[in-house]
Amino acid sequence: QQSWTMTSTWPSSLELIEMDKHFVDLANKLAGDEVKIDFYEGGSLVPAGEVFGAVESGTIQAGADWPGYWAGRDPAFSPLATHASLFNAVDYVNWIQQWGGADIYNEVYGRFGMVYLPYTVTNNESGFRTNAPIRNTADLKGKRLRLSGLEQGQLLERLGGNQVSMAGGEIYQSLERGVIDGAEFSTPNVDYSGGFHQVTKYWSTPGWHQSSSVFGVMINKAAWDALSPGAQEKLKIAADATMLWSLAFTEKRATEAYGKFQEAGVEITRMDDETLAEIQTIANSVIEDAACASPTSAKVYLSQLEYLNDYKSWRDASAPFNLGRTPNGPDIEKIRACAGQ
Amino acid sequence: MLIRLIDGINEIVGRIVSLVAIIFAAMIIYDVVMRYVFNAPTRWAFDVTRQLYGFYFIMLGGYALRHQSHVRVDLLIEHLSAGARRWVEIAGYFIFFFPFTWVFLTRSIEFAQRSWNQGETTYGSVQLPVYPLKIAMAVAAGLLFIQGISEVLKLVLHKEAKNDFA
Amino acid sequence: MISPELIAIVMFGLLVIGLFMGHPLAFVLGGTAVLGAVIAGKPMVLGIIINRIFGDVLDNFTLIAIPLFVLMARFLSDSGVTDKMFESLRLLLAQVRGGLALAVVFISILLAATTGIIGASITVMGVMALRPMLQYGYSPSLTAGVIASSGCLGILIPPSIMLILMSSYSPLSVGELFAGAMVPGVLLGLLYAGWVTIVAIVRPDMAPAVQPDEKISRGALWRMLAVEAVPPLVLIIGILGTMLAGVATATEASAIGAALALVIVIMRRKFEWKTFYGALLETGRTSAMILFIVVGATAFTGVFNITGGLRAVQDVMRGLDMAPWMLIAVMMFIVFILGAFLDWTGIVLLSFPIFLPIVQEMGISLLWFVVLMAIVLQTSFLTPPFGYALFYLRAIAPSSVKTSEIIAGVMPFIGLIIAMCLLVAFFPSLVTWLPENLYGPK
Ligand code: NA
Ligand code: NA
Repeated sequence: QQSWTMTSTWPSSLELIEMDKHFVDLANKLAGDEVKIDFYEGGSLVPAGEVFGAVESGTIQAGADWPGYWAGRDPAFSPLATHASLFNAVDYVNWIQQWGGADIYNEVYGRFGMVYLPYTVTNNESGFRTNAPIRNTADLKGKRLRLSGLEQGQLLERLGGNQVSMAGGEIYQSLERGVIDGAEFSTPNVDYSGGFHQVTKYWSTPGWHQSSSVFGVMINKAAWDALSPGAQEKLKIAADATMLWSLAFTEKRATEAYGKFQEAGVEITRMDDETLAEIQTIANSVIEDAACASPTSAKVYLSQLEYLNDYKSWRDASAPFNLGRTPNGPDIEKIRACAGQ
Repeated sequence: MLIRLIDGINEIVGRIVSLVAIIFAAMIIYDVVMRYVFNAPTRWAFDVTRQLYGFYFIMLGGYALRHQSHVRVDLLIEHLSAGARRWVEIAGYFIFFFPFTWVFLTRSIEFAQRSWNQGETTYGSVQLPVYPLKIAMAVAAGLLFIQGISEVLKLVLHKEAKNDFA
Repeated sequence: MISPELIAIVMFGLLVIGLFMGHPLAFVLGGTAVLGAVIAGKPMVLGIIINRIFGDVLDNFTLIAIPLFVLMARFLSDSGVTDKMFESLRLLLAQVRGGLALAVVFISILLAATTGIIGASITVMGVMALRPMLQYGYSPSLTAGVIASSGCLGILIPPSIMLILMSSYSPLSVGELFAGAMVPGVLLGLLYAGWVTIVAIVRPDMAPAVQPDEKISRGALWRMLAVEAVPPLVLIIGILGTMLAGVATATEASAIGAALALVIVIMRRKFEWKTFYGALLETGRTSAMILFIVVGATAFTGVFNITGGLRAVQDVMRGLDMAPWMLIAVMMFIVFILGAFLDWTGIVLLSFPIFLPIVQEMGISLLWFVVLMAIVLQTSFLTPPFGYALFYLRAIAPSSVKTSEIIAGVMPFIGLIIAMCLLVAFFPSLVTWLPENLYGPK
C-alpha cells in the first residue's frame, strides 16, 4: 500500500479547500486499499507558491492547485486555469473530457514530471468590488485593482487600469484603507467569506477577466507510475465525480452569497452588452499576443478555440436551450500560425 | 590563512549588501509618493522591493555569523572551563550547524537550477525573473557554510574572532 | 518507522540540548529539522525546508518592515531625541517621589510608540538613566527592573516587529494586531508607573525625591519639553497615524518611519557618514539575526508537521478535555516557560501552528488570543536564563550592580505583566475595542 502526502494552495479559511477535501475523501474511499492520501491544509507544509516545486521534486506526492499560479514557469498554465472572456465552466468540462483537454494538461504538467487530474470547475468569477461604481470601461481608467493572472493583467492595462498583485490575505485591509481602488478575488461565496461586503459598496458583474476556472491536483509522475492501472482509474473516477459535484456546489453557494451581498446593501451593477463586446475585442488581442509569445501557450489556446469552432454549430442550433454562448473569440488562424512555429 | 580568506569574503559581502536596505527603503518611499501625490504608482516597486529584501537578509547570514550576532543561550556553558566550553561549541557546529547548512546548500542549488532551467518569472503583467533570488539563496547558503568552517577553525586553533577590517 | 509522538519528543529534546550547548538558536532549529527528518526515516521531506525558507521568509512582503523598523530605531537613537526628552522630563519630575523612575516609564512608553524593537530603548535608557538613579539613591534592583521592563514595551506597543511577524504567520492583519495591542500595551506601561509610585510611597528609601543640581524655571522647562516632544510626535503620527488611519500599509509606514528618523538626525546636525554607515551595518546584522531564526523555525515546523509530530501534539492538547479557559491558561503557561529559554521569534513560529487551529476550533477570538500571547511574551525578555532585557542591561550596568539584583528587580514587573494578562482575560474588550472602532466588528 502506498502512502501519499498531499497539500493544497488553499488555507483552511478559504472555501476552495472544500473541493480538495471532497476529492481526497472520495479517492480514499475508492482507492484507499492501494493508496492512502494524507491531506494537509495549505500553508502547513509548504507556502502556496511552493506547492508546485514540492510535488515536482517529489518531496510530496500530490498538491492541489489552480494552474494559473505557475504561469511564471510556463505561460501555458494560464489558459489551463482560466480565460479572459472565453470559456464558461461547461466549456472547460467539454473540452477536458471529450475534446482532448485532459491530454493537454498532462502534456504541460508532464514537462515538469507531473500528472494532472483536473477535478473542479467554477463558473464565472464575481467581478470587481469597488468603492466607486464601475459600469463601463471608462470607469476603469487609472484605477488600481487587485487582479491575478498574466492575460488578466494585460487586459486590464489595455483598458486603462493598473494591475496590483497581492496575496488573498492582504486584499481586505488594502480595500479598507484605499491602498487599492478595488479587487477581484473569486466566486461570490468565497468573496463573502473574505468579508468584502464590509469594505466595498459596489460590485460590478460579470467577471469578464476570468470567465471560469479550473482547479485540480498535481501528482508526481514517479508516485503515479507506482500505482496499478486499477488504482489510477479509481483516482480518475474520483476526480470526475468531484468535478460534477464542484460545479453544482459552487453555483449553489454563489447564488446564496449573491443574496447575502444584496442584503448587506452592496449595489450590484452589470456591464451592458456593448461594453462587454468592447472588452471581448481587447481580450481577443491580449489572447492572440499571449499565444504568439509562447508556443506551448499557443498550442493550448489553439486546442480550446478548435473546440469552440467545432461545438459552435450544434450549440447555436440548440439555442436557447444550449449551454452558454459561442464567444466571438480570438482569430484562430493567427493563433494556429503561432502554434506552428 | 583560510580563516582570513573566509572572514574577508563575508566581511566584504556584508559591507556591500548592508547598503541594500537604503535602496529598498528609497523604492518604497518613491512608490508611496508616486501613488499618493501623483496618483501614478509604479508597476514594479512591489515585486522589486520584495526581492531586494529577500536578497538583503539571506546574503547577510554569513556576515552575521562572522560577527557572532546570531543569538544563543550561553548562560549554561559559561560555567564550563574554557577548554570544555570550546569542545561543546565545536560539537554544536557538527551536530546542528553543518547538517542544516549542508542541506540548505545542496537543496537550494537544485532549487535554483530548476528555476534557471525554467526561466521562471512572476506571473502578473510585469514578468520579473525569479531565478536571481533563488540563485542568491544558494550563494548565501554557501557563504554561511564556509563561515561555519572558519568559526570551527577558530575554535580548534584557539583563535579569538579578530576584526581584520573593523 | 518511529511514531509521531516519539518524533515530537526527539525533536523537542534535540532543541533543548542544542540550546543548552550554547549553539545559535537559528541553527539549532534548522539542524533539528534535518536530524528529525532523518531520524523519522523520511529524508525525502528535507526538500520542504528549502520551499519553506524561500516562500515563507525570502518571498514574504510583510517581513520587509522588520529591517526597516530596526534601521529606524538606530537612526532614532543616533539623533539624540531620547536623551533630550529624558533630560527635560527628569528635571520636571525631580521633586516627585520616584520621579526619575517615572520619567523612565513615560519616556519608554513614548519611545515604544516610535520603535518596533527592544534593544534601542533599553540601551538608551540604560546609558541615560542608570547612573543618575543609582547616584541619587534609588535601589539598584528597582533601577534595573524599571529600565529593563519599560524598555520591552517597544515590542508590545505598536509599531512592533513581533506583531508584524505574528500577523505574517496568522490570518490577522498587521493593522488589527497593532490596534489590538495598543490599549493593553499603554495600560501595561501605566501599571508600571503605578507600581513605581506605590514603591516610592511605601519604601521612600528605594525611590527618593531628588533636587536637581540645575535650576531652570518651570516655563523654560515646559518649553524645552514641548520642543523635545515634537520629533517623536512627528514619528508617531507618521507611522502609527498613517497606518491606523488607513493611508499606508505597515511596510510603507516602516519605510516612512526610517526616512523621518533620518530627517530628524540631519535636522539635529547629528548626521555623519561614519555613523550612518555603522547604522546600516548594524541593521544588517540584527535583521539577519532575527530573520535567520525565522528561517530555522520554519524549517523546524515544516519537518515537525510532515513527520506527524504537530498532529500528535495537537491531539494530546485536544485530548486534555479541558474547559476552553483552562486550555488557554495552559497554552499561556507553556509560552511563559518557553520564554525563559527561547527567543520570541522561535516561540511565535513554534507555537502558532500548534495553538492557532485549536483556538479557532474553540470559537475564541484569534485577535484576543494573539494579543494575550504578545503580552505574555513580554516576560520572555525578562525571565532568566534567556532574556534579552537582562543581557542588554548587564552589558550596560556598572559591575556594582549585581546580576542577582537585576533579576530580583524585574520580578515585580513580571508579576505586573501577569496581572495585565488577567485583566485582558477578564476584559477582552481591552483588546477588541480599538480594532472594532477602527475597522468595524469582524
Ligand atoms: Na513599538
Ligand atoms: Na526569558
